Amino acid sequence: MSQFLQPTILLLREGTDTSQGRAQIVSNINAVQAVADVVKSTLGPRGMDKMIQTGPKVTISNDGATILNLLEVVHPAARVLVDIAKSQDDEVGDGTTSTTLLAAELLKEAKPFIEEGIHPQIVIQGYRKALELALEKLEGFSINIAKDSAQDKRDTLLKCAQTALNSKLLANTKHFFSELVVSAVEKLDPNILDRDLIGIKNVTGGSVTDSFLVDGVAFKKTFSYAGFEQQPKRFENPKICLLNLELELKSEKENAEIRIEKPEEYQSIVDAEWALIYEKLEIIVKAGAQIVLSKLPIGDLATQYFADRNIFCAGRVTQDDLLRVQKATGGQVQTTVNGLNPETFGTCGLFEEVQVGAERYNLFKNCPQSRTATIVLRGGAEQFIQEAERSLNDAIMIVRRCFKANKIVAGGGAIELEISRFLRHYARSVTGKTQYIVNSYAKALEVIPRTIAENAGLNSIEIMNKLRQKHAQGGEEGRWYGVDINGASGVCDTHSSFVWEPTLVKRNALCSATEAACAILSIDETVKNPKSDQDTKMKPKGQPGRPPMGMRR
Amino acid sequence: MSLAFDDYGRPYIILRDQGQKKRMKGLEAYKSNILAAKAVANTLSSSLGPKGMDKMLVSPDGDVSVTNDGATIVEKMEIQHPTAKLLVELSQSQDAEIGDGTTGVVVLAGKLLEQALTLLDKGIHPLKISDGFDRACDVAIKHLETISEEIDIQANEHEALIQAACTALGSKVVSKRKRELGKIAVTAVLDVADLARRDVNLDLIKIQTKTGGSVEDTRLISGILIDKDMSHPQMPKEVKEAKICLLTCPFEPPKPKTKHNINISSAEDYKKLYLQEQQYFVDMVKLVKDSGANIALCQWGFDDEANHLLLQNELPAVRWVSGTDVELIAMATGARIIPRFQEITPEKLGKAGSVKEVQFGTSNERMLVIENCQCTKAVTILIRGGSQMIVDEAKRSIHDAICVIRNLIKDNRIVYGGGSAELACAIQVLQYADEVSSVEQYAIRSFADALEGIPCCLADNCGLNPITSVAQAKARQLQESNPRIGIDCMELGTTDMKEQRIYETLSSKKQQIQLATQVVKMILKIDDVIAPDDY
Repeated sequence: MSQFLQPTILLLREGTDTSQGRAQIVSNINAVQAVADVVKSTLGPRGMDKMIQTGPKVTISNDGATILNLLEVVHPAARVLVDIAKSQDDEVGDGTTSTTLLAAELLKEAKPFIEEGIHPQIVIQGYRKALELALEKLEGFSINIAKDSAQDKRDTLLKCAQTALNSKLLANTKHFFSELVVSAVEKLDPNILDRDLIGIKNVTGGSVTDSFLVDGVAFKKTFSYAGFEQQPKRFENPKICLLNLELELKSEKENAEIRIEKPEEYQSIVDAEWALIYEKLEIIVKAGAQIVLSKLPIGDLATQYFADRNIFCAGRVTQDDLLRVQKATGGQVQTTVNGLNPETFGTCGLFEEVQVGAERYNLFKNCPQSRTATIVLRGGAEQFIQEAERSLNDAIMIVRRCFKANKIVAGGGAIELEISRFLRHYARSVTGKTQYIVNSYAKALEVIPRTIAENAGLNSIEIMNKLRQKHAQGGEEGRWYGVDINGASGVCDTHSSFVWEPTLVKRNALCSATEAACAILSIDETVKNPKSDQDTKMKPKGQPGRPPMGMRR
Repeated sequence: MSLAFDDYGRPYIILRDQGQKKRMKGLEAYKSNILAAKAVANTLSSSLGPKGMDKMLVSPDGDVSVTNDGATIVEKMEIQHPTAKLLVELSQSQDAEIGDGTTGVVVLAGKLLEQALTLLDKGIHPLKISDGFDRACDVAIKHLETISEEIDIQANEHEALIQAACTALGSKVVSKRKRELGKIAVTAVLDVADLARRDVNLDLIKIQTKTGGSVEDTRLISGILIDKDMSHPQMPKEVKEAKICLLTCPFEPPKPKTKHNINISSAEDYKKLYLQEQQYFVDMVKLVKDSGANIALCQWGFDDEANHLLLQNELPAVRWVSGTDVELIAMATGARIIPRFQEITPEKLGKAGSVKEVQFGTSNERMLVIENCQCTKAVTILIRGGSQMIVDEAKRSIHDAICVIRNLIKDNRIVYGGGSAELACAIQVLQYADEVSSVEQYAIRSFADALEGIPCCLADNCGLNPITSVAQAKARQLQESNPRIGIDCMELGTTDMKEQRIYETLSSKKQQIQLATQVVKMILKIDDVIAPDDY
């Protein structure tokens, strides 16, 4: 009997949830499907928005990364999806939904293999091989636009921006906004293309088409003291002095203490303090500054002093605004006024304070060496503008990428189908299990056009058949057929209807989706420690897990 | 949210607090969103128009306000529902951009959503509906521009501006006095307007309220009114040909900002210190006096000793004047704000015809009026009224009127009110609908119906038969091709709004239609709502 009386060995803390084996992989795959389902309906030009309420804050968004982030996914495997969406967002800015969908679809295709007992590593190898081929093909299919003239290049950028905006709230005004975005990106230094130098300012009220681009900097009127209104509000070619310095009457050092022996000395201390601030102000005025901006507060005394001398000032300008002003006007931020050199002053064509909606804005326009731009967004409701900002952000990222990469492919599911066709063709030439797996990869790619069609309310089966047929013809003419949401037939040559996307987006999407799928497939055990006591008390039924007897193997 | 189960029957916990989240998808989501938004619009619809009713709102603290202003109503309703909140913001952004028409925009959005609901029931894809609305909106806006008329704001003593202000005031509680108030608002705006740049900084118009008297007593002061009195009761109540010294430093011995302490070791020293302190006061008063100032306004306080000294030296003074007031006074009198006594010079003084303490009714409250200023760049409207509620509502109404005038100065094109502009657009949109071959046609037609909802609502609020009057007006618009036929709300016997002189600014109307369409599009695009499941 003794062989049956194996002692129970407790390795882990009580309540620890462990799941392992094939069932674990399947279970993870199912969880991923559930998450992907949430974002599925946002794909494509007819994609819908999600409204997510977290506490008092409501977000309405179409952006995959934003939605996944707000969902607060806690499932460990499903979190991988959130992470790839985020990495896609950071890397290229757009295509987050398609990446998520693709990863989920790859897993879904892998599920039958796992269930049938094929080792996950074989699936992973197959997927990696397929990815390699797909990327190779992607490069081969992409169209280089670098050699075209500047005008053509601009056109291409516009097209790409429009494609990115297609699925967003701004779809109807995409021509307007793509123009805005491309002009903004063109302002940047083409070698660096620093995204931070494009400012987006939101002002509620007005129509979206009232949004405008400032070829320079715009920021909201900062907190001002009495006397501000007496300052001039318009300059042409002003000298702009940028400071990181507090201009206020205040104690010089925190822990200083003064001991005065004679009452007569009292006045001298007071005078000394005033002299300190006046000295600073005088230097600025003498140097000939006409606009003084500071990151730190500019007090009432300084405000009035400047008002008396026809100088405009603004304190508490935020860091990134100041940085943009610096870039736009060519000035340098000074941390002290000692030895203030007029050469460090920037300048711009026109400075003006104007009313935008209910706010007053400071605009610095026509900057000579402008390497920065600001988009002032208008719209009906706060959420509307926020979503518009996210959409513009996507478009800006795309244009930026396009600027650098110069290679595009046709969107609307065309490139996915073309790669899919190629992979299917290739699969026939392989022997062994890999054949099935490459085939599955090809099938998974079709999820993109299928979802676009579904979301648009089209008959997805019919559309897929038409598309497969077009692509099966091979060669140039069938290559770029994708889903057409406007026409009657449902399919069209998306390349000639200008649904263009940078190759880089697709490349990154394919890579990260495949990587994520492989990562999830290779997990065969999850060890989840119980939460700390407080949490478990609050949520005793949270995740019952299997009783500890599961450990007795 | 519904739970998914794996092969062992365990639920997936995918999201944090999954059990406590509510999720609505698809048609259910559209409908619940639309119904919530419609509920808000319905509340407001009875406030539309010259005979619209007011709402009484009680805040959690028990403060009661009575208002007809759409933006104020929705703001104080403290709406929780996320979609309904969008309408609140819609109204507020109309308020921020235009200032007037805040009720109309919400009512229009409500009507559009109502139409969308029927279209959804027909099985039309929500995005098709929003596309249709968008196209219809463009047509309506274009048509508005063609029927708009430019007015000469200068002509006939700014008659057009006064009429436009009257239209804005017509629906408010102060409508009886709309002409007087309209005139006040027009004069105020023109005083501060920069006509060359077509810019009006509304910060320069101060609206001061004071309960008591009646709305008729409301007046415009071409100067500044501050809710303060002289620092000493025996100081003169009026200063003619005032030379104002604006101080932002207190009337007390200066203190270094750095932490300091004074060590006094002998009685002699103490005496010296005391004398020096006294000397400060004398010096300060002397400095002010020497500059030629005959009144001092101080942003800070001063102690009784200083006060006494000021009285002795016959220098009237006011203490604790707020920062914004100091700024306004500086603008109006051409004064320079003086940060310390050593810097007082005669050039920095502001000049005003008179500074006068006025008393209201039998109460002991006094206010200071600074009039006939050297450069009237800032003005004050003093609103009087029987009760706090009336005064508050009058303040909001005048704000609306001021906004309308400002918009006219920016853009002098007008359309006619009384629902005529909406009707004209509706007719145009309807014509356009027939030219569209795709599904959007239905949405475009519904847009026209929604536009007609505005005159309908107007007529309803005025006690007219909405269907008959709208039908009549529409028929006459078509027959006479006159886009100025509207609803005769005031029963003046004519439906031509040009004769009734109901002016509305083009920018306001355009904005209303655009904003409403935008928000409706946004609501229609939401197919999934994830929210904490607590209400």
